[in-house]
Amino acid sequence: MSEPMPMPMSMRLPAQPGEVIDREERFSFSWNGRSYPAYSGDTIASALAANGVRIFSRSFKYHRPRGLLTASHLDPGCTIQVGEEPNVRGAHRLASPGLDVRSQNTWPSLRYDVKSVNRLAGRFLSAGFYYKTFIKPRRLWPAYEKVLQRFVHGGVIPDRPEEHDAEARFYDKRYAHPDVLVAGGGPAGMAAACAAAEAGARVLLVEEEHRPGGHLRWGDAADLTLLAELRERVSAAGVEVMCDAVVLGRYDDNWVAVVERSPAGPAFERLVKARAETLVVAAGQIERPYVFAGNDLPGVMLSTAVRRLVNLYAVRPGERAVVLTANGSGDAAAADLSRVGVDVAAVVDARHGEDVVRADGRGGVRWVELGDGRRVDCDLLVTATGWTATTALLNMAGNRPVYRPEAARFVPDLDTLPDTVVATGGVVGDGTREALCEHGTAVGEEAARRAAGAAEQSGEVPSRAWPGVKGAEGARAPSAPHPKRPDAEGLTPEPHPELIHGRTHGFVDLCEDVTSKDLLSAVEEGYDSAELAKRYTTATMGPTQGKLEILNVVGILAEATGRTIQEVGTTTWRPPYAPVTLGALAGRRLEPVRHSPMQRWHEEHGAVPLVAGAWIRPDHYGDPGAEAANVRENVGIIDVTPIGKLDLQGPDVAKLLNLLYVNKWSKLEVGRVRYGVMCAEDGVVLDDGVTGRLGEDHYLMSTTSSGAAAVWEWVELWLQTEHPDWRVHVTPVTTAYASINVAGPKSRELMERVTTGVDLSPDAFPYMRVRRGSIAGVDDCVIWRIGFTGELSYEIHVPSAYGLHVWASLLAHGEDLGVAPFGIEAQRILRLEKGHLIVGQDTDGITQGYSADLDWAIKLDKPDFVGRPELAWQRQRGDHPRLVGLLPLDADTVPPEGCQLVEGAEIVGRITSSRRSPTLGRAICLGQVAAHLAEPGTEVTVRLPDGRLTGARVAEQLASVDPEGARLRV
Amino acid sequence: MGSSRSRFSAYSLVRQGVSGRPWPRMWRRHELESSYDAVVVGGGLHGLATAYYLAAEQGWSRIAVLERSYLGGGGSGRNTAIIRSNYLTPDGVRFYDHSLRLYADLSAALNFNVMFSQRGHLTLAHTDASLRTMRWRAEVNKIEGVDSEVIGPDRVKELAPSLDTSDRVRYPILGALYHPPGGIVRHDAAVWGYARAADAHGVHLHQETEVVGIETSGGRVTGVRTNRGLISTPVVANCTAGWATTIADMVDLPMPIQTFPLQAAVTEPVRPFLHTVVVSGSLHVYVSQTDRGELVFGASVDPFASYSTRGSLEFVEGLATHVLELMPSLDRLRLLRQWAGLCDMTPDFAPIIGRTPVEGFFVDVGWGTYGFKAGPAAGQALAECIAGRKVPALIEAFALERFETGKLVGEKGAAAVGH
Ligand SMILES: Cc1cc2nc3c(=O)[nH]c(=O)nc-3n(C[C@H](O)[C@H](O)[C@H](O)COP(=O)(O)OP(=O)(O)OC[C@H]3O[C@@H](n4cnc5c(N)ncnc54)[C@H](O)[C@@H]3O)c2cc1C
Repeated sequence: MSEPMPMPMSMRLPAQPGEVIDREERFSFSWNGRSYPAYSGDTIASALAANGVRIFSRSFKYHRPRGLLTASHLDPGCTIQVGEEPNVRGAHRLASPGLDVRSQNTWPSLRYDVKSVNRLAGRFLSAGFYYKTFIKPRRLWPAYEKVLQRFVHGGVIPDRPEEHDAEARFYDKRYAHPDVLVAGGGPAGMAAACAAAEAGARVLLVEEEHRPGGHLRWGDAADLTLLAELRERVSAAGVEVMCDAVVLGRYDDNWVAVVERSPAGPAFERLVKARAETLVVAAGQIERPYVFAGNDLPGVMLSTAVRRLVNLYAVRPGERAVVLTANGSGDAAAADLSRVGVDVAAVVDARHGEDVVRADGRGGVRWVELGDGRRVDCDLLVTATGWTATTALLNMAGNRPVYRPEAARFVPDLDTLPDTVVATGGVVGDGTREALCEHGTAVGEEAARRAAGAAEQSGEVPSRAWPGVKGAEGARAPSAPHPKRPDAEGLTPEPHPELIHGRTHGFVDLCEDVTSKDLLSAVEEGYDSAELAKRYTTATMGPTQGKLEILNVVGILAEATGRTIQEVGTTTWRPPYAPVTLGALAGRRLEPVRHSPMQRWHEEHGAVPLVAGAWIRPDHYGDPGAEAANVRENVGIIDVTPIGKLDLQGPDVAKLLNLLYVNKWSKLEVGRVRYGVMCAEDGVVLDDGVTGRLGEDHYLMSTTSSGAAAVWEWVELWLQTEHPDWRVHVTPVTTAYASINVAGPKSRELMERVTTGVDLSPDAFPYMRVRRGSIAGVDDCVIWRIGFTGELSYEIHVPSAYGLHVWASLLAHGEDLGVAPFGIEAQRILRLEKGHLIVGQDTDGITQGYSADLDWAIKLDKPDFVGRPELAWQRQRGDHPRLVGLLPLDADTVPPEGCQLVEGAEIVGRITSSRRSPTLGRAICLGQVAAHLAEPGTEVTVRLPDGRLTGARVAEQLASVDPEGARLRV
Repeated sequence: MGSSRSRFSAYSLVRQGVSGRPWPRMWRRHELESSYDAVVVGGGLHGLATAYYLAAEQGWSRIAVLERSYLGGGGSGRNTAIIRSNYLTPDGVRFYDHSLRLYADLSAALNFNVMFSQRGHLTLAHTDASLRTMRWRAEVNKIEGVDSEVIGPDRVKELAPSLDTSDRVRYPILGALYHPPGGIVRHDAAVWGYARAADAHGVHLHQETEVVGIETSGGRVTGVRTNRGLISTPVVANCTAGWATTIADMVDLPMPIQTFPLQAAVTEPVRPFLHTVVVSGSLHVYVSQTDRGELVFGASVDPFASYSTRGSLEFVEGLATHVLELMPSLDRLRLLRQWAGLCDMTPDFAPIIGRTPVEGFFVDVGWGTYGFKAGPAAGQALAECIAGRKVPALIEAFALERFETGKLVGEKGAAAVGH
């Protein structure tokens, strides 16, 4: 019970002069499970139509059968599933051997669609019906919702990443820098491209169809001759042509995005990002449908669709036709049909007031009723009732189109465009093919001249020749601004009757199944602005985004509200101009990873990785508890390369440090390091780290690993915006050094074995000092004596190329001392035992300095520093939460980080850090507590994730191991 | 609802279908009167809800809503309609939970289906730091009675099979905060539902009416100037979101608010496959699938303050990259439309609601990227605040004074990316 048997090539005509199919190359593909023959060059739709297929889809709401309407990318009736790819434009995508093509969202089959009962219920399913029902009872809504979801009008996406071949598809990006980018390859666009290229410009011509030529392609002999000439010129002039490519958007400064849908080479699709000096918009016109009863039946087609089918694909669109025409395109379609032997039963000339009232038939047109009451049997109704200028790209460049009633369309207001954007061809007005080419040529020359002017200004001209730029002396182009627009003259919109809808109601938006009646009732219901009516009915919200139907929507709204079409106004076109795959937008998926130079060693030694922002680093090597214990007993080494490092040089560094840190820096002597805390203007703790003074005007600042980039920006922000006069040179050196912390009671002994040129004895190199020397034979290492772990320790910064060498040397020289590597987890345990806070863990987005136990560091007696007023105010209020050490009363229960402290139903704090301390053999925590609970000895209640309550006591200080710091200072 | 109005139901839908008689208007057009008892500036969700509750629950009459363009033309018509209450601070959680409960009953209360789809909400953690914040949120939520829990990758996979939960990816999914009551609504429907209900209670809705100035005398509001004339009124409610400071400037009231654009995008429809809302803070992206089958994407605000509502190419490129990182099989899904709206950001990512030092000038602003879910509760509370002497407990924490007392409501950890 699926498709009718194919009638192979039953609708194929004999060879046509402009046909794009290659009859030598015949193959087959499958449509809803049956095999169909096709020629190379056929679109999926043209091949199916050639085999007698008339129904391609079912409509969204009413599940009405739909056939070809535009036979182009925009065709609302021909959206299909190709293999795993949903929503393919069947009237655009080329057929290829073996394709598996299916209609979307039909059950059980395209011909017998069960949901088409909705047609009967149609009168109850007026626009927005869902807002008015399914309201009660509330518990049934989820069930109703499931029913609504069944009507989703789209294909199927493979939804399990395990089961699809995305990795096989490669998407690429490219940057382009054309002098002139021409959007649209019809006669005007091609002429403009040639003229610009012949004048010396680098030109990129982008055409949405598979070959350039626009409407010349389905034209008469003279059109085809001109087309051949233009193609010849385009290639001779060296224009780069991209076909099956579309300009998605024009952003500021002519930043233009183009997607190539079938690029040469391995890429499935490619996004081209072009900075064009001049953008020429030559996107032509889109033929619009006519609104009347039955206007969506298979067999109702636009004149351009008929002309494409006959002339490009040699497909007979029907057997007996009625043609409603208001313009030359309709006349030409009628002539085409007669020429290929279709019986043209009636030509209905709208220019003489003739009209079509309705079309009817089951599954396709069987007869039409004309304005004069005649009823004509036919299986094809062709309409040619007007055009829409493709102004979207101009719109994105700031243009607001104006309505010209005598021409029945919106046209661009060229005067509002920037100098770098010009237009030509049908988007501007109408003309003979010669007039179009002439206009295109003039615009192309001017586009080149403007590009040359811009190139001259940027100093690029001497290296480039612009032979054809008139008015240029030699290679020099005029740089004067161009007051006169080249595109304003030569093409004007021809008079055209204003045909929007006939005497009956029909579909306005075929994608969304919105009728003219829906629009009228929306207005009656009060949705009486264009925006509201569109939103309520969803007209123009579907895949064509209004490109086909916008004028009809606006016209009907104008009629309903008693306003003019100009007053209602057209849509604001937003990018993308055409739907674009996520794959193309994403391109190659580049997600950089940072590894330290010691990474290979870590991997070879069983490190368990931790993803930490840009870095991937060892979390531990198997047993973090043992790693921590070894640091307390012997000596451990940890790779701390990700620590942010900024090299600061210049006479004003001390001023900078005094401004950004809350503590004092003026008296830091050469050879000393100091711990510093930065707060933002709101007093919230931003970052912390150690900064050492290496020389008179030379400092090395360290930041947290996660804050490295932000602190660099922060430093530059203050220097560049507030203190451009300060002489400070900032160089980020995070990855220039590999950093290793050597920690533990035996660290000095280990360091002595590898260090030369530095006296490591406690008196010569005490706590909080910095020295420079050579380690394991590597010169220019920076050595800090600091102690995040709470042990005697040295943090060494080694030129990164030697990182692995130094790491291995430390391990080799310390074997008898029990040296072992430790990871982040062990470091976290150790620092928690020592009570050192982690910014962002023990503080959060509103933790101000005094809430982080930093009273000792904040120097309000400094005249100024970032955050000072807020901090002074915080201290004065004194009611802020505090960071405290917390000791669970049950030493064996470690409350997970994030647990809340409660007083009855009220939250009074939280656990910010917690671990079991291997040194003390008990649970230890840091936590934020309300001011009234901060006194040491206070007992607080902790709510565990399972809801149980347990107690903890506020400790004397944050550190629970060696609070006096004796181990650090040995 | 006024008795003269017809109620919406399956029955009325059939009756209208049979009779072919037009539906009554959703709201009427009125002449602009020269005085009102209260003027609400801004015809978005918040302004309409405020006017509705002021009329329906506080019994006020002679209320006008002034909207510069069309109803819902600001953030209310541009947002991604995510509703949830799994915030970080107890004040935030309580407030949003109340709003979520109002949403759950809203279709019935307004007799208009706002299509609240409580499909569940997942906030993914890709780092141990975000997992820690999620545990914190879950704990606060549980204490406040909000359904919220931290789940592991296997459970994430069950809820959203399209996510790549393997460890092959650059930022493996370590877990998620799962919040079953969260979901999405049809944003326009909420706006229209309130507008219709407000109209039924006699509120005058004036579209294309722009406020250009506010008159005060002796520290009290006395009237507003509009492009259509002067209105005298003792009460002005500023519900203008992205434009909040432009209105506050009219009474010389400085507000700690900066306006940032927030972008969003939508794809072509595909058959339903994603049945929860998915947020990834680390990858700066969130996604849900509407009943129409479209995927709606959003991210964090643009990095600079601006009133521009134009979309950028960089935004959709970044968005696509991150979406494919999460759901690699969507590469051939097509992006249909991108847009931007304005967000009124406060320093602590919490709103500012209630009275101000200018008597009669009320604010309901600072909604940043998260105000759609707040509309019902904010409107109800502001109406109570306007009508009563007392500030409702629900919004006490959100008073403007907190920037003078220093008692900020830090919601950044729960609101920076997932709105
Ligand atoms: C892209 C995006 C996604 C978002 N996603 C979410 C989400 O998922 N969940 C969520 O909860 N929130 C979300 N938000 C935030 C949410 O949209 C807003 O917080 C909310 O809509 C604010 O509603 P409102 O009624 O206060 O303001 P708006 O809807 O912006 O209404 C303010 C109105 O004031 C009018 N106005 C301004 N100046 C004047 C004047 N002088 N005179 C008269 N009228 C004036 C404007 O025209 C506008 O209509 C998102 C926002 C954006 C932009």
